[in-house]
Amino acid sequence: MTNYAKKEKKWFKPMFDFDEGEKLLKKIKTNTQTHKKHENIAQVENEISDTNSGEKEFVIKDHKHWMKTFEPVNVEDLAVHNKKVQEVEDWVKTVSSNNNSDILLMTGPVGCGKTITLQVLAKKYGVRITEWITPVDIDIPSENGEYEFKQRQSVRFLDFLLNAANYTSLLDGNSRKLVLVEDFPNTFLRTPSEFTEVLLQYQQRAKSPIVFICSESHTDNKNSASNIFTPSLKEQFNIHHISFNSVAPTNLKAALKRVSNIISKKHTAVYNCPTADVIECVVNSSAGDVRSAVLNLHFACLKGGSKQNMDTSIVHGKETKSKTTRKKKSSSSKFMSLGKDESVSILHGVGRVLNPKVIETENGNKKFTHTPEDIVEQFISQPVSFVNFLEENYLPHFSNIDHVDKAASALSDSDLMLAEWREKMCQEYGLYNAVASLMLANKAPVSAWNPVRGPKNMKIQYPTVRELRLLEENYLYKGKILVSDYQTYCKIISNQN
Amino acid sequence: MSLWVDKHRPRDLMKLDYHKDQAVRLKSLVQQSDFPHLLVYGPSGAGKKTRIMCLLRELYGSGVERLRQETMTFTTPSNKKVEIMTVSSNYHIEVNPTDVGIHDRVVIMDLVKNVAQTHQIDSTGQREFKVVILNEVDDLTKDAQHALRRTMEKYVATCRLILIANSISRVIPAIRSRCLTIRVPAPTENEIASVLQLVCKKESLNLPSDLAMRLAKAADRNLRRALLMCEACKVQQYPFTSDQKIPEPDWQQFIRDTATMILSEQTAKKLGEVRQKLYELIIHGVPPDMIFAGLLKELVRNCDMAMKCQIASHAANYEHRMRLGNKPIFHLEAFVAKFMAIYKKFVEESMGDVF
Repeated sequence: MTNYAKKEKKWFKPMFDFDEGEKLLKKIKTNTQTHKKHENIAQVENEISDTNSGEKEFVIKDHKHWMKTFEPVNVEDLAVHNKKVQEVEDWVKTVSSNNNSDILLMTGPVGCGKTITLQVLAKKYGVRITEWITPVDIDIPSENGEYEFKQRQSVRFLDFLLNAANYTSLLDGNSRKLVLVEDFPNTFLRTPSEFTEVLLQYQQRAKSPIVFICSESHTDNKNSASNIFTPSLKEQFNIHHISFNSVAPTNLKAALKRVSNIISKKHTAVYNCPTADVIECVVNSSAGDVRSAVLNLHFACLKGGSKQNMDTSIVHGKETKSKTTRKKKSSSSKFMSLGKDESVSILHGVGRVLNPKVIETENGNKKFTHTPEDIVEQFISQPVSFVNFLEENYLPHFSNIDHVDKAASALSDSDLMLAEWREKMCQEYGLYNAVASLMLANKAPVSAWNPVRGPKNMKIQYPTVRELRLLEENYLYKGKILVSDYQTYCKIISNQN
Repeated sequence: MSLWVDKHRPRDLMKLDYHKDQAVRLKSLVQQSDFPHLLVYGPSGAGKKTRIMCLLRELYGSGVERLRQETMTFTTPSNKKVEIMTVSSNYHIEVNPTDVGIHDRVVIMDLVKNVAQTHQIDSTGQREFKVVILNEVDDLTKDAQHALRRTMEKYVATCRLILIANSISRVIPAIRSRCLTIRVPAPTENEIASVLQLVCKKESLNLPSDLAMRLAKAADRNLRRALLMCEACKVQQYPFTSDQKIPEPDWQQFIRDTATMILSEQTAKKLGEVRQKLYELIIHGVPPDMIFAGLLKELVRNCDMAMKCQIASHAANYEHRMRLGNKPIFHLEAFVAKFMAIYKKFVEESMGDVF
């Protein structure tokens, strides 16, 4: 670890450097000052944690790299599913032996461990990774007001890739190498054709494999993976595509256990050793994102003033848990202050509205676990489609016709509001009205398992003129009239003729 | 062989069976060789289309009766192709813009533009304008109605619009004011009975006047339906007897069944079954307002006066919302739920009185 840090310092110098070995004479004064401050903090920590002062120095030094401390070292440490790791490993194995310009595309949601899998495996097989980072290229005019000549972004990108692929570093002489691109130059998002050109050049001229890593997100429609890597492009360049899923809770838990082991071994000065409950909470609130899970765990375990806060929020979450799902083992406790924003899928939302859970607060009032406001806010698709879903599914949950009357009347109101598409607020009001009144109307819910059904397709099929014989050939009949007047009688008349 | 309704449709303004006064006025309207945009409205089966065709014949001669069918294709702004069936002669074109749903605006604008930009080849002895007939104008989207307003003024030199609607309350005022509105009221029961007698005479059949009256009553002042019923009666049983069974439309029977279901049990579960019935009606194309009216009629039969009033007021409320909203089923269901709630309370109270 420290070795790694030293190595880094060869080529970059951090601005705020507390490391004594690297201290410059000029900065001695300021450094000692900051050091003193640190000791003060450390003393406070000492009072709380009662650890010996010998460790504290180490702790502070290490603190900067705490994310690195928890990074997986071996393949076994990865939180990614074994099969996926195996898939990437196979690719790295086959590719590292030959000097072809093979292309791999790794996609997956944020924080599912794409990059780290590659890094760990590259380390295992002794492959050197060179990564492209798009330089900042803001045009600043020179002193006489002229702009400097700059190469096109795509040209620079290609040059870098070729250099990285074809020339080995003088320092380590490792001929096994791999080019990694995670950061795509903007120009390719605008003109994907340029990217095809670059890939063509690369395939002809380079002698190393290249890996592209793309994060996927549902909300982002400028999704680089699907925008740049079209199926035809993948076929043209024979790109191997490995797609990752978000990390499963069990794997995530295992990874966090490992982190907590590291903590209990080395870092007891700064962190409380996380309990199983805390880990559970972190797993629940991070939605399959390892990186954010580790960050959350770090925050949750920090010693100091925040401890009480955290605890109360956990307890709050637990209240729900004990009320609702005692039998099931899965807990729904979450940190209130941590974790990702939730978004609710349609089916989830329907469940929350139609089976509202009520908890009692301390002063005896009743209150929903998911308030209508929350549901409306967390909702991301069209209000109309959600209300349609509600309409289709609300009936089986009701037992009393008076309550149904209230609910149906509210839905009718909502439809009225939703029909006004020119006013954006109306959509929101309509949705809120439907959600809130359905939650409140049902005083005597039926507890039974009701599968959620999709709304009916209300496409009206009018009979065609050909179906009903006897009609004039060249006369324009209205669909409604055909149904309401002609249909029945045409049948009678034509049958008996 | 074609249906009596089509076969015996009057083709001349002077041969119309009722509203003769109006027919004379219409005739004098076109005698001035020009006429403004028309908005013809009235209930279904009152004879709107018949009058319009007579009017066109008066205007252009028998050439308007040589009809041909054509499917036209339009492209929406979102590059979607929509197809619509048109019926046209050399002088006019007729279309149901509501067939294409929300894309009706495109159809109206493009169609009127197409027609208006092609001038008549031989203008000798012909009118300088063509006629576009638009059906069901009251069901057009607001968007389309506004588009219509602009198009109407722009192409007034080369084309005339004849708009057909059931009620002008849903036609925007701007259009109403640009058209000569002509109301075609539904024929009275006596008028229907006399038309039935006339048609039967033409078919050389003998129709008892009692049966004619019964048919006229059953048809709900809808001449089209009356004629179809009459023909169906003839097929089922001839010679006619004055007490023979008159077949009624399937959907009416279906609505009656649904109403019986509602009256039999007032629970959420039953409402679920009723909903399936309503879905079926809607999907088969029965207009929701007719479902509404039919249901109300059947339901109030079992209510006392105070409740009737209450139910009717709720029905009016939900029907109005249905017109403004998008999904008729929401409002139909809300009405049924409301009825169930009120009726259940009523039944429980009267039960309480008994014991």
